[in-house]
Amino acid sequence: MSHSILVIDDEDDIREVAALSLETVAGWQVFTANSGTQGLARAVEHQPDAILLDVMMPGMDGPTTFRELRKNPATARIPVLLLTAKVQSSDQRRFADLGVEAILLKPFDPLTLSTQIASVLGWK
Amino acid sequence: MAADERTALTAALDRLWIQYLPLMQERVEILEAAARDLAAGPIPDDRQQEAQAAAHKLAGVLGTFGLTRGTELARELEIIYSRQNNPEASLAERLSSITGEIHTIVDSRK
Repeated sequence: MSHSILVIDDEDDIREVAALSLETVAGWQVFTANSGTQGLARAVEHQPDAILLDVMMPGMDGPTTFRELRKNPATARIPVLLLTAKVQSSDQRRFADLGVEAILLKPFDPLTLSTQIASVLGWK
Repeated sequence: MAADERTALTAALDRLWIQYLPLMQERVEILEAAARDLAAGPIPDDRQQEAQAAAHKLAGVLGTFGLTRGTELARELEIIYSRQNNPEASLAERLSSITGEIHTIVDSRK
């Protein structure tokens, strides 16, 4: 079964590699957004099966974007996975407390990113 | 994953690397300038934050293109720039050395 996912990341290179990986390896439909604000709009518009959300973004950062997604009934139930290059355990605990589905670390392996996401979400 | 899909992904990643190489080099140049200036004396907070951000971005992306050592080194720089309020002059040589190594790693990827 094919899935759809929204990748929200302000870094063009990361966003493109993630999209390429998820489309090529898993065959998923990938939507992208380059900011938290754009991500909120795209989530409402496309109703993806999941959202891969960068933590550190200018303007609306990942945690704030996540809280806004949860506030809106149209996006409140979409599973969110955080993507971060922050490896310190204190940061990870803080992110986990938000209530996201999972925290994935940068750098990710383009060959296995979709497997990681599918495993977390129980996708076959 | 089938072998032909893996080959297609690898080829596409190589194309993206070429597309984004100027961005990678720009980040390395920020780090080189910060290390060079630190050797001469304290740098403004915004310059240090700029160097920390450049290191953070490189740490997050280099490994994705197979440059795992580059990610490790960039992460080391990010930690130094985030913990030290104006890293001491004694660290300048280390910062310069790490940055030089990252430069070589970025330049070496085809």
